[in-house]
Amino acid sequence: MTRLDAPFGSRIDRSRPISFSFEGQRFTGYEGDTIASALAASGQWMLSRSFKYHRPRGAFSMAGAEANTLVQVGSEPNLAADLTPLAEGMVVSAQNVNGSLARDRDAVMDRLGRFMPVGFYYRTFMGPTRKAWLKWWEPLIRAKAGLGMVDLAARPDGFDKSHLHCDILVVGAGPAGLAAAIEAAEAGADVILGDESPDLGGRLTYAPEAEVDLTALVARAEALPALRIMTGTVCNGWFEDNWLPLIRGKALHRCRAREVILATGGIEQPAVFRGNDLPGILTGGAVRRLIRHYGVRPGTRSVILAGTPDGLGAAEDLLDVGTRIAALVLPRDLPGHAERIGRLRSAGAEILTGRIEAARGGTHVEAVQVGGRWIDCDLVAVSVGHAPSWQLPCQAGARLGYDDATCRFSLDLARDGLHLAGSVAGHASTSAVIADGRRAAMAALRALDIDAGNVSPCQDLELALAHCALPLNPHPKGRDFVDFDEDLQVKDIVNAVREGYRELELVKRFSTVGMGPSQGRHSALATARIVAAATGRSVAETGVTTARPPVGPETLGALAGHGHVEERRTALHARHLEAGAEMRPVGAWWRPYLYGRGDRVERITEEVRAVREGAGLLDVSTLGKLEVRGPDAGAFLDRLYTMAHANQPVGKVRYCLMLNEMAAVIDDGVAFRMADDVFYVTATTGAVARVYADMALWNAQWRIRVDVANLTAAFSGLNITGPKARDVLQALSSDIDFSPAGFPYLEGRIGVVAGIPVRVMRIGFTGELSYELHCPSSHAPALWDAVMAAGAPLGLRPYGLEASRILRLEKGHILIGQDTDALTSPDELGFGWAVSKKKAFFVGKRALEMRRRLGESRRLVGLIFEPGTEAPGESCLVLRGGEPVGHVTSVAHSPTLGRVIALAYTHVEDAAPGTEVTIRARSGKLVTGRVAGHAFVDPENRRQEI
Amino acid sequence: MQATQTCPFFPGGAAEDVAPLLGQRDDLSVSDRSHWPRFGLKGPGSADWLSDAGVALPAPNRLSLSSGFTVLRLGPNDITLLGDPAAPEALTALCARWEAAPGPKGFSSWREEAWAWLHLDGRALEDALARLCAVDLRPRRFVPEAIAQTRFAEVDAVVIRRGGAAEVFFDIAASAAVLRTIRHGGGHP
Repeated sequence: MTRLDAPFGSRIDRSRPISFSFEGQRFTGYEGDTIASALAASGQWMLSRSFKYHRPRGAFSMAGAEANTLVQVGSEPNLAADLTPLAEGMVVSAQNVNGSLARDRDAVMDRLGRFMPVGFYYRTFMGPTRKAWLKWWEPLIRAKAGLGMVDLAARPDGFDKSHLHCDILVVGAGPAGLAAAIEAAEAGADVILGDESPDLGGRLTYAPEAEVDLTALVARAEALPALRIMTGTVCNGWFEDNWLPLIRGKALHRCRAREVILATGGIEQPAVFRGNDLPGILTGGAVRRLIRHYGVRPGTRSVILAGTPDGLGAAEDLLDVGTRIAALVLPRDLPGHAERIGRLRSAGAEILTGRIEAARGGTHVEAVQVGGRWIDCDLVAVSVGHAPSWQLPCQAGARLGYDDATCRFSLDLARDGLHLAGSVAGHASTSAVIADGRRAAMAALRALDIDAGNVSPCQDLELALAHCALPLNPHPKGRDFVDFDEDLQVKDIVNAVREGYRELELVKRFSTVGMGPSQGRHSALATARIVAAATGRSVAETGVTTARPPVGPETLGALAGHGHVEERRTALHARHLEAGAEMRPVGAWWRPYLYGRGDRVERITEEVRAVREGAGLLDVSTLGKLEVRGPDAGAFLDRLYTMAHANQPVGKVRYCLMLNEMAAVIDDGVAFRMADDVFYVTATTGAVARVYADMALWNAQWRIRVDVANLTAAFSGLNITGPKARDVLQALSSDIDFSPAGFPYLEGRIGVVAGIPVRVMRIGFTGELSYELHCPSSHAPALWDAVMAAGAPLGLRPYGLEASRILRLEKGHILIGQDTDALTSPDELGFGWAVSKKKAFFVGKRALEMRRRLGESRRLVGLIFEPGTEAPGESCLVLRGGEPVGHVTSVAHSPTLGRVIALAYTHVEDAAPGTEVTIRARSGKLVTGRVAGHAFVDPENRRQEI
Repeated sequence: MQATQTCPFFPGGAAEDVAPLLGQRDDLSVSDRSHWPRFGLKGPGSADWLSDAGVALPAPNRLSLSSGFTVLRLGPNDITLLGDPAAPEALTALCARWEAAPGPKGFSSWREEAWAWLHLDGRALEDALARLCAVDLRPRRFVPEAIAQTRFAEVDAVVIRRGGAAEVFFDIAASAAVLRTIRHGGGHP
């Protein structure tokens, strides 16, 4: 056991032990541990196998910067073990192993590396060998690829999504971010401070400095009411107008900030040497995190590579916890730190100049080679400097620069509302970082017109030694990894350039460098240096690849959110439930599919018969309802629809057909002229939103005296249909004359029925005598009750959507969207009668004329099938000479005819009634249907016009 | 209101099954005002007629108090007047005057039928508003006369703030879904 006593272990609670398993073995950690820290405390360093060579891998940064730590927890794959908090009963397993982590059969891949050179995919799957893909490579790679297992039986989890607003968002709660947030909130701004860590302070939490009292700083921040602190929160991208997603646990907060301060700090970089990926080799920061956050002694005998003073800090911490320093390796002088180095020498550390050339070990580091000499150790700490966390700034348009003299990267960001602060802005010492955080806050405050002072720039004494660029020469035996995620070595990048890929974006695509889950955090800058050297350019000229959101992995659940389903109900919803309706969603609407229980076919057949023989009642409230009003309402409809409406008499109802500019049918309905300047227009349920938007757009362009109101929810509709429909209405009190002479077909009336104001249209979707009663929705339940009561002695019954679908098919009526597609013209539907020949203009007229010149190739027809014929399904192909010429759009068994009937597109020369056409049924069998006239039932229209 | 009228959260209404969610949480009070009086005009002539009738109109996308009711000006010629059931007389009189008036007088926008109207208040209000709406509705940013015509609880909505509370107007057919989203999605971040 390598646990340390307090004060080490600031994040763990030793009074709360937690039991969990990893690879089937029981382990114990503490509350506050991560999976990786708890395993490290128990001596389990290996967490995964590498992507390509299946090499042992363990935590390297303890900051979630590499894919080495990705594990599967229960049904959730790809969790970073060094960031994921430990929880009681967790079942953790390794990913990308064949067998087990300890005995991975694919570890043999490490010996086959020479058969998988850089650009393996390009070389193998393109050119002469690409035919091998389907036969050989695809099955093999499919079996080997992927990180983690998807649990197909996983149940939906409780994800959440919300919005946040603030004056200033500070991303990163290290010294700079914390100072900025405090400065801004104390000045009166509404501030959000977000950080992925569970505590505030950033590097001060594991690399404390005597001159900064972090406890006091945190207490000051927590006492500010205007400062919202969001720890455990990942800012996963920057989008225009300072819109940033903040992911906290299973919640995605979409934050809109007036000003943003990016204090994202730096990413500690690896040193590149042979075997640099072995478990037990960590960054200096990771060593200090393990000690100070989790109370874990990370080794007993260590070698420190101190390219920067941070390495000395790691060595001092290790000495404090009883780890022997076998060697302190200094690649360069560290002026001003001779006293610290002397103390380490006095404590037994051998001081070596030079660099680590190689490391060796099985599943853990056992020795490193320095100056040709092997030094035994079980821990290596590397400190060679940080790269700025460039992802968010670069997404916002920052340019990354590099000073070859100081080996320092810099970011240049000039965008209103966005500020860099601290390490990411190029500062190193804590005092300079804090001063820069305050400076950024003051700049943001001034942009918000809040009084702010000025802060003097602070001399940054540590800047000169903050970065150390070690040579990146390929080791003769390789395994000197630049990209841990993709198992890419120095020679792979060099070879990619030799292949002719000189630009970094092309090197990335050819080699896959930076494409792994860590998105180049450790590889991008080393790759840039290698490519720069290989192409004779500066690093600044080479640059880095484009940074795109997301910054880190995010779950689809977080993007999807809480899963609330869009739902609309008609005012009669409760009435349908009372009547025993089986409700089904149709788009966003809930509609009655059928009523009652028992055999569905029987129920639907009964509902169809009730309409054909008596009277039925259908809730048509989901129909789009638009009121077009104003002096130019008729002219407006004339421009939008194919028929003539300007001359439509008041009280008449007229069919309306809408085309788009390509002359494709996009909607239909009826228009009831209620007054000279008012039309009540229906639109199909699914299209009304688009029709309304189109009307608004055209109205804005044409600038004529018209207003359009969408009354879809304001008005409800009841369709009373069947031979006894008139009797039902005449049984109700009304000021409307429902007699055949008083209310002819295709006319409309405004009046009162059962004391309720109504708009009534005599139209017929079912082919029967039909009246559509529309009333303000708050009156709809009362109107339904009155109609049902009046109709009860006459056998009136409600019918559902399926019966309605069959009734309209029997009558040969089309459904826009089902029987039409994105190209259907009126002529293909046989709707030439619905297109005015006299109007000078309507939307789609010009295209319709052009299409007519091209001629028709298909026609929608009715088909009837002999009894016993296998019924084709919707979308089944219509064939002519063995070639597809159309498809079935609607099909149903007609209870009225006792036959299967359908609508289908056929070749235009096969559209004459009586023609037999061939259809390939679902079973593959060819069946024959006979073309019927425009209606299967009552083609003379006698029933609807009685 | 006539006895025959039924709003979604009423017994027999389309959303009666979710009506118990109204007022269920003590830190966020949600009450239904869908039956409260209101009167909307839209289209050419609306603003002129209301001005002639003595209603002081605010600028488009602003609200104001006038003659005993709140005036929402959603567009140059899209105006809705919000009444109070405790003192409906002024609005009733104005409606009657409009009904009797010859044109041009605009056209009814049927807001009393098309809109559900929810009133939100309580300790968790600011959190709930931030979670449910992409517009910055914080009092320091959303001035009292402001109107947000936006998305709220995942539907198109009009949001205003009066007396520290918020009021939301949206498609009445979406009442059940909106109330559920407010209740389940309007918690603390």
